[in-house]
Amino acid sequence: MKSLKIVGVSHPIHDAKAKVRGNANYAGDMQLAGMQYAAMLLSPKPHALIKSIDASEALALEGVETVLHCFNTTERTFSRFRTVSRQPGIMNQERVFNRELRQVGDRVACVVADTPEIARQAVRLIKVEYEDLPFTTDVYEVLDGALADMHPEGAFFEFEREMGDKSLVAQDCVETVTHSSLDRMSHTAMEPHACVAYYNKSMDEMTIWSPNQTVFGIRTVVADLFEMQYHKVRVIKSTMGGSFGCKQDWILEPIAACATLATGKPVKLVYSREEVMLNTSCRAPFIADVKSKFTRDGVLQSLDADVIADAGAYLGNTMAYLGYQSALMPRTYKYPYARYRGRGVCTNGTTSGGLRGWSSGELCLFVDHNFNMAARKLGIDPLELRLKNVYKPWEKEMADNISLEEIRTKECIELGREKFAYDEKKRADADFNSKNERYQRGVGVSCGGHFNGYFPHALDFSGVEMRFTESGSVIVNVAVHDHGCGTVQAIKMIVAETLGLPVDMIWCAEGDSTYNPFDTGCYASRSIYVIGRAVKDCCHKLQEQLLQDMASALGLPEEDLEIVDAQVRSKNDPSICFNYTEAVHKILFTLVKEVWVKHEYANTTNCGVTGTHFAHVEVDTWTGMTKILDYMAVHDIGRAINPEICRAQVQGAALMGSGVALMESLHTNPKNGKSVSSLKNYHVINAWEAPQVQVLFVEDGLTGGPYESKSIGEVALVPVAAAIVGAVNEALQSDFCECPLNPDKIVAMMQERRTKA
Amino acid sequence: MRLEFTVNDKKRVLEVSADKRLIDILREDLGLMGTKEGCGEGECGACTILLDGKAIHSCLLVAAQMSGRNVTTIEGLEKNGKLDPLQSAFVEEVAIQCGYCTPGMILSAKALLLENPAPTETEIRRALAGNICRCSGYTQIIRAVERAAREGGAAI
Ligand code: FES
Ligand code: FES
Repeated sequence: MKSLKIVGVSHPIHDAKAKVRGNANYAGDMQLAGMQYAAMLLSPKPHALIKSIDASEALALEGVETVLHCFNTTERTFSRFRTVSRQPGIMNQERVFNRELRQVGDRVACVVADTPEIARQAVRLIKVEYEDLPFTTDVYEVLDGALADMHPEGAFFEFEREMGDKSLVAQDCVETVTHSSLDRMSHTAMEPHACVAYYNKSMDEMTIWSPNQTVFGIRTVVADLFEMQYHKVRVIKSTMGGSFGCKQDWILEPIAACATLATGKPVKLVYSREEVMLNTSCRAPFIADVKSKFTRDGVLQSLDADVIADAGAYLGNTMAYLGYQSALMPRTYKYPYARYRGRGVCTNGTTSGGLRGWSSGELCLFVDHNFNMAARKLGIDPLELRLKNVYKPWEKEMADNISLEEIRTKECIELGREKFAYDEKKRADADFNSKNERYQRGVGVSCGGHFNGYFPHALDFSGVEMRFTESGSVIVNVAVHDHGCGTVQAIKMIVAETLGLPVDMIWCAEGDSTYNPFDTGCYASRSIYVIGRAVKDCCHKLQEQLLQDMASALGLPEEDLEIVDAQVRSKNDPSICFNYTEAVHKILFTLVKEVWVKHEYANTTNCGVTGTHFAHVEVDTWTGMTKILDYMAVHDIGRAINPEICRAQVQGAALMGSGVALMESLHTNPKNGKSVSSLKNYHVINAWEAPQVQVLFVEDGLTGGPYESKSIGEVALVPVAAAIVGAVNEALQSDFCECPLNPDKIVAMMQERRTKA
Repeated sequence: MRLEFTVNDKKRVLEVSADKRLIDILREDLGLMGTKEGCGEGECGACTILLDGKAIHSCLLVAAQMSGRNVTTIEGLEKNGKLDPLQSAFVEEVAIQCGYCTPGMILSAKALLLENPAPTETEIRRALAGNICRCSGYTQIIRAVERAAREGGAAI
């Protein structure tokens, strides 16, 4: 491949200058003429039926436009998780305003008023009569029959899946059984959810602006919910202040749509942090039992995972999430047989949704914890045990029987071992621990795999249109949704590199359901691997089109022309040479057409992509505090398109995963069903506490992604919690995996240990 | 109440209720949308502004406390069409992803540099401890503050 000038060189995110000036336009910042403001009344009850709503006082307040609730809005139901029309396996369980409230924070009513203050004031004047219903936040009670009538489909769902060939499992194996649990977690994107919607009655057209991961998904759900044609609903993705999965469930969009349909005026709805925590989505609480079988010399033979996820009030994506988790079973380690049983259980807790990594971080935690315990039994170093069981390039995995292509887990482990000084640290820790009573140190290592796109699980398809402007710059029309991690910039860099133009000669906007070619959303780390690939292929098509048009405009055979350094020139006659601007004008005036192409790309690969993370921790056995001394993430990334952004994402993931492992808990009180609803009680790691996170990339390329890249945004989170938990268990020689391993739990464990001793 | 105060070097006179939060005054009455709300309770730092040169959460201040005070928001840092060294350093060091924390982060850093023009990494970390960034590991942000300190970010 010719040497690259743009790809592989760090660039600031495309809207960095707007962001440092404070004028990036997030949905909450939008102003439209005549705009009104919505404020929500959320359920204080974990499970109740609304008997009556008296909104008369609220309506009497000056400046109040309307009050919406279950008795005056559509009874049609929707799924917050649906992204595609006629998507299989979807359950429509929610109304915009439910009459049966199934969680604290369920949507009771919404006031639309002239100012946010009036709207909030009016909310306090709404009188609701509730009839309490029995509730539970305990998945086992539901599995025993509680909440059986909460949804017509039942309250829990399950499936079992076997992969590989059981007869290949060796006879003489060491069996290790482990139990893990994970508490509810909040994505805590810094931008709270927001949405602006405007229904133009005269035109019968609705426009919705929101930070989201698929404009087409929202268009589909909103149009179906309000029985509108798809061309009448236009959804535009606004600047997104972080998602991590929290902005892939449709909650505010249906409310804002309902409100503007009622008023015919633009409506802005912005959630407070409390409303985000109570009414959007969280990462499900999990309980997992894993059984592994290894040969005595450490070769993995089988894994059996029994996983329960608490879906909360509505099923949302939970079953898809678990299905995905089962497919992830063989994405990291190679072994002959796996069995997965997944149970998704509705309770009266906060509704769960997808978190960055979409169940792979959770799986990694369960499986790698089991590996660590098995390593102890087998007397093999945890790192060595992993080395024995990773894939070799081009091996196939057994869930979908697809090739993992140039998977490089082994190189990542070996590189990290050396650069992290894994063996030296272990020796030093042994010495440190023998001399210390209060502080104990440990090293953890973990490998976690993920996907690059939906293939082969869902429609993995992208359309791109690209055109030259008359000034020789390029407009890319593709439905990308930048979560704030640099997708737009990466796309521009890919186009600039391929067409030989500077990056600022490329324009690429974000999702707009009316103008973009159809696409299935920015999920599953597909934005670069799949959409970026579609874009790169489209660049080649644009160049071909340009050559073809120039050939006919000049009356030359196409084979005589070539594009070099952003110029169309003749291979034989150096005097025939046009830059893009001149070429475009030549074509415009000679052929009367613009240089424009459309490209469609359906992805058919999904190479192996893994990260290996190393954590070194010190646990204060008196206070239970865990300090991360050192952290290293090594990623098999193919090629980093925009390296510093990739590093920053991996570092952010390391902090997020450390939070999952050690402190983050959106805990639900079983007595009243209320979850933590404030950042005062939900701690995320700040600059003072953050460890240095070193990031290394193994860039071997040779993938199907654009410029041979693989995914990074999600896989970066996958191994983190497992590495930290592994290090804590190594430090304490303990075997617990009830995350978060907060000081209370560690102190309790140490006390129990002392009592026993 | 009648509120007279200075925002980004401009005198402002507003009629607002005494308990209106400063963040809402900035955003709703003055259209300064660069000040972000992430929690509304002093926990995230997204709403940080400079009050008489000190970094403070605008979600915790109300109109009654603002008379005669001097407020700088992110919109007030750019001088004569030139970005503040902190702003340029954040861009150059790739210290921005989703950008929601950025205005608050830059203003906390500004307050630090005004007080301590050559902070150590530890001092930077301490000064930014009230500003949460969920996207990054703070590495590029800290680097940007160090760079801005070298490149004259201590001036206002
Ligand atoms: S919004 Fe003020 S500190 Fe979070
Ligand atoms: S850049 Fe997203 S929160 Fe800091």
